[in-house]
Amino acid sequence: MVNVILKFISCCRAADMRISTAEVLDCLNQLEVVDFCDESLFNTVLRANFAKSRREQGEFDRLYQLFFHEMQTGLQSDGGLPEKTLAGVPDELSDKLAQLVRQLRDQEGSRQIELEKEQGNKLDQALMDFLAGNPLAFIQEVQKIHNQDEKASLLFKSNLGQLSSRLEIMLGVNRLKNKMVQFLGSNDSLVDADVSGLEEAMNRQLNKALDFLNTEVRLDNAGLKETRTHELHYKTLGEIPFSNLSCGETQMVKQIIDRLVRKLEEITTRRFSAASRGMVDVKKTIQRSVKYLGVPLEIVHKSRSPRRGKIVTLCDVSGSVWSAARFMLNILYSLQTCFSRVKSYVFIETPLDVSSFFKFNEPNKAIKQILNDPRINYNTRTDYGMAFQQFRDNHLQELDKKTTLIIIGDARSNYLNPREPLLESMRERCKRLIWLNPEQEKFWGTGDSEMKKYRSHCNEARACGNLNQLIDFIEALVL
Amino acid sequence: MLFKSVKDVQTRMERTGYIPSQEISTIVFLAQETQKPVLIEGPAGVGKTELAKSIALCLEQEMIRLQCYEGLDESKALYEWAYAKQLLYTQMLKEKIKDVVSTTATLAEAVDEIASHEDAFFSRRFLQTRPLLAAISSIDPVVLLIDEIDKSDPEFEAFLLELLSDFQVTIPEIGTITAKSRPFVVLTSNNYRDMSDALKRRCIHLYIDYPAFETEKTILRMKIPGIQERLLSQVVQTVAKIRELDLKKKPCISETLDWANSLMILQQDDITEDALFKTLNTLCKHKADYGVVRKNIGHLMKVGS
Repeated sequence: MVNVILKFISCCRAADMRISTAEVLDCLNQLEVVDFCDESLFNTVLRANFAKSRREQGEFDRLYQLFFHEMQTGLQSDGGLPEKTLAGVPDELSDKLAQLVRQLRDQEGSRQIELEKEQGNKLDQALMDFLAGNPLAFIQEVQKIHNQDEKASLLFKSNLGQLSSRLEIMLGVNRLKNKMVQFLGSNDSLVDADVSGLEEAMNRQLNKALDFLNTEVRLDNAGLKETRTHELHYKTLGEIPFSNLSCGETQMVKQIIDRLVRKLEEITTRRFSAASRGMVDVKKTIQRSVKYLGVPLEIVHKSRSPRRGKIVTLCDVSGSVWSAARFMLNILYSLQTCFSRVKSYVFIETPLDVSSFFKFNEPNKAIKQILNDPRINYNTRTDYGMAFQQFRDNHLQELDKKTTLIIIGDARSNYLNPREPLLESMRERCKRLIWLNPEQEKFWGTGDSEMKKYRSHCNEARACGNLNQLIDFIEALVL
Repeated sequence: MLFKSVKDVQTRMERTGYIPSQEISTIVFLAQETQKPVLIEGPAGVGKTELAKSIALCLEQEMIRLQCYEGLDESKALYEWAYAKQLLYTQMLKEKIKDVVSTTATLAEAVDEIASHEDAFFSRRFLQTRPLLAAISSIDPVVLLIDEIDKSDPEFEAFLLELLSDFQVTIPEIGTITAKSRPFVVLTSNNYRDMSDALKRRCIHLYIDYPAFETEKTILRMKIPGIQERLLSQVVQTVAKIRELDLKKKPCISETLDWANSLMILQQDDITEDALFKTLNTLCKHKADYGVVRKNIGHLMKVGS
């Protein structure tokens, strides 16, 4: 039993789930308390210990299904689990299949030494393991695809890296199929009836491997806060998309934003002064009491340091997004007093730190300067995956548990590799990850928009394409 | 009285008016057996807090609740010295203090003499216990509910880690207080932010979703005795449909209950458009949500009938 669970855990870890030894111990202890022959109880215990957030549960369920239902690893020898979990290939057959793989391996053993340096070899081994009932190496190979970095290239961009790795695995599956069929044919010890049964079982198993490769878990992001409806602060002006504002309207919007900023600053400072009375400051109270012959007439309270978070914005500056982003940056920098620090990056492909522009200039002027900065290459195509990768490599230290990361962008990545696991690692570093999309929700996920994928990794995702939505967001952020 | 088995958890919780799924009862039983805290996640209003209350009722233990918020610190969660009281006492006892030091010859001796009495001012009398200390120092076992832990700061979370692993607190002036009996700890989170891995590692995780159709019916039947079976299924179906709509705040179980109650009071046997509008404010708590429901009224009514 312990062996089975340990094998399962190594599969989970291969798929990038973090499971500590302490959790394994807990799980085993708990299994002793309940009747684990009841599969739903068994599943509950494993799930409660290994998938510790709603996001992880999808991945866990997929692995659980693969490991305990579709494969039947190691269960034969231990017999720890009840029969009904052993769906799929009948026991006897899978035993034979495993045996067959062993034989094939023996036969190839001599040849393999020469081939060892070849790339595909590791994959072949992984697939053979999978066929023999051990998916660990295969899961590792698949996970590698998700985590591989694209090489930055200046001339020619593609997402071929990931696709070709996938193709390689598919080819590997076909190669193994052929090899097995050949091997089955040449094996004299088998009866014809056995051969067809085994072939079928083998095909079924390998198809499962392909399924695992091709299906991606749809993350169930229960914590995601989504706001679709918005209040009507301003009737006509508030509903015009930022990209369609005329010159005069832009001025009006700016005025409204200025008013809003003043209002919000006032509210936050008032709230702070009311809430800042903390514990009694003994030192100061005694000092003051000297004035009154040692009688502590004046009791001094320690004032709390203001509750302020750091804000980091990562802003797409390609055409359509920029018109919305400029208002966003404008408002964030105008509200600097409400936050301990505001840092901002703009990107098309490479994130560029533009905080210094705002430090020395008034927001509107700073925005103008950013647009003319020669370091931003406007001729390249927007690439979110690359931008995230470079942000992780160069600026990840900016994020900490008190930082709110705001990404402003339409998530249109020109069909390049979206690299959404990077977003996950960024979210883990900060307090909240908020995605503001200037496009309205109905366009999310259409065409080259990767918003559906990115959304599942955010703490909050909202459309922010007109003044009303912007006001809603800012009020929610500051108040 | 402790739970004896998973089945026992189920029957006893049902008796207190909480209908647990099998997953919930399994995890409650495991948490009791292994003395681990339970971390409950789920949307607002699915009964996370209610679960803790029900556990306390079943175990016949007192429930101590700590509501977390941004800026919550040890002085509000654990203990605080009652400074004002201490100062007041020093003033009132001034004469007495003079007496104590009157027999001493030198300043050093006087200080020593005072020092030997300092326990008087740093005793339990001047200690204001807050929920966490109350839970630890209680002689009888208690259920400790730490509500909305995701609202607290990372510093507080780190402090909580220490407490949850050892169940002891050190107060410099008094000494270490170790829990006499381990409390049953329940943490709830609305997923405002992700909890740290270290905290998750120490807890058993439980996700509660909106109840399934049949479960919700059972809950309603139990809480509103005498409700017509026909109205009951209509209510549950309509609420399920409303939850699918794009709302700011989805109606939770207690709102379903309120709605069913108001329909009963208005003596409605059927859910009509008119009845829905009249009672909509028990279900929707946002102006914008009103409009959404109004817009989809045709769709909702189709299900209702």
